[in-house]
Amino acid sequence: MDIPYTVSARPDTGLYNAKVGIWLFLASEVMLFGGLFSSYIFLRVGADYHWPVHELNVFLGFVNTLVLIASSVTVVMAWASLKLRQIGKFKLYMAITVLCAAIFMVNKAFEYKAKFEHYAVKLTDGTFLTGHLPQGYEIKFGDVSEVSVLIAGENKAVDGEPLKHFVPRVEGDLPAFKMTDGSSITLDQSGFTTLKEATLKAAREKLEEDRKKRREEGEALIEAGNIAAGKAKLDEAERMNIVPDTTIKLKPEQPVTVKVKPSQIFSYTANSLTFKDGTTLTGKLLDDSMVLEVDGVDTRSVPDAEKSLAWKSGLLGEPWKKAFIANRDHHLNAFEEKHGDRRDPKKSATLQKEAFFLKIKSATPDARDDAHGSSKSAAASAPADSHADTGHHGHHPVVHVDRKDIAFYSNYTPKLNTYYAIYFTLTGLHGLHVVAGAIVLFYFLVFDGRRLRENPEHLANRVEVGGLFWHFVDLVWIFLFPLLYLL
Amino acid sequence: MADSPEEIQKSIRKYLWIGGILIFFTVVTVGLSYVELPTHGLNILVGMIVATFKAALVALIFMHLNHERILIYKVLAFTTVFCLALFLLFIFSASDPLVFEGF
Repeated sequence: MDIPYTVSARPDTGLYNAKVGIWLFLASEVMLFGGLFSSYIFLRVGADYHWPVHELNVFLGFVNTLVLIASSVTVVMAWASLKLRQIGKFKLYMAITVLCAAIFMVNKAFEYKAKFEHYAVKLTDGTFLTGHLPQGYEIKFGDVSEVSVLIAGENKAVDGEPLKHFVPRVEGDLPAFKMTDGSSITLDQSGFTTLKEATLKAAREKLEEDRKKRREEGEALIEAGNIAAGKAKLDEAERMNIVPDTTIKLKPEQPVTVKVKPSQIFSYTANSLTFKDGTTLTGKLLDDSMVLEVDGVDTRSVPDAEKSLAWKSGLLGEPWKKAFIANRDHHLNAFEEKHGDRRDPKKSATLQKEAFFLKIKSATPDARDDAHGSSKSAAASAPADSHADTGHHGHHPVVHVDRKDIAFYSNYTPKLNTYYAIYFTLTGLHGLHVVAGAIVLFYFLVFDGRRLRENPEHLANRVEVGGLFWHFVDLVWIFLFPLLYLL
Repeated sequence: MADSPEEIQKSIRKYLWIGGILIFFTVVTVGLSYVELPTHGLNILVGMIVATFKAALVALIFMHLNHERILIYKVLAFTTVFCLALFLLFIFSASDPLVFEGF
């Protein structure tokens, strides 16, 4: 059966059917994005942190806006060309539209990637250090004198899987391990399987033995006339039918060091580290500091920025503090000169950002163009190989942040704060719409050739409907761009 | 309907113009966001007014809402009302003295 009114208008609505359909769909789409914009308002009104303004890449967002506007023009031009039966122009405009969608998504991918690689580290006093983790964040634990592996019996809760959790994290070659009975094993697949089977067999035999002993005790009691106590013993023996867990202790024959990400383990202390499978190492915590290439210090949430943890000697130190103060005073004075008493500097979000969020673009404060600070003692702060030319990473100080100073850290993903949560939700959903719209338009361009030859008016209607969706995607972006990038 | 060939021919020039105006106002939006108005709330207000104007151009010209059938306006009337209600919901949180101090 053919769908009616695909070309001509239905008499009662005055519209071809697909147009009514797409507008109903767009109406529900408006509600979908409306709900998310409403969430944006709530999150912003309730934010207990400084809402990011101009924090995303404005240039990239601007380019993407132009790309979407251009594609909106081309898609309506494609429709108009088809209506006028200018087939060559129609195809050209459709192709440009799809190309614009691709450019938009590529830009978006760059933007997302930068967010995944960029980190914010919240110190315990509220200071944020922003930057990159060139080596990721790993905990180094060494001098391992004992590895306890849990072999679950029948009462399976956690079963030790050292081959999956412990062994891959060992630095260098894996040594052989000595068991408590003096025998030696290697922790590979066959070695561990043999060990596990032997352990379970031993556990089963021990259980049987215990049971037998208990039963004999019970029978002895009954024979002696103590029937109640004897029966209790027999019952107890009956209930002893679950093979218990066993913990095997292994001693490495050579020193072992492991490197793990915090997400790969369950917990650690100064002298033990437990993996998620229960495997526990006894040894020494060697290093749990975070190596961070700092590109910004945000002190806006610290009551006294000059006392921020960022300036302690292990971190950025005095020279950067001086650079920070010079930058802060410069902006505060400029604000004062410009506005005098008419404006409260505390209420200017822009000033707060300029004055209290120091952006770092060089390995030492001295290298800053506008450095007002000391010129002699600067080198102390920068263990970075600032002369090594390693792209933009070489232009930042590298610091070791103590674990005890870190309250929270995250890359620029929804975990960081509600702004990035709504940013990824809105732009992610919008991006999916761009992809979906591009697929539909691409289909009309490439796979609808027969309709183009036989019923161009029908294809024109299809393109109009696809175009309406495409304009809607552009329309959403018109609001997203200022709300997320600019304001 | 404005879908006759002559009308469409005429509107092509219009589409290009509208595209130009949209780009111009995008530049304006970016520029204005760097101008510090007395409160940041004013920046948001101005930005949203410009964005709404741009959105209206897209809806009216590109999406042909300047000459559409009554049925579509009826559908959109519902959406508009519900959407505005969604945007104004936050007013209920404005009386929360702990958090919100105005934009």
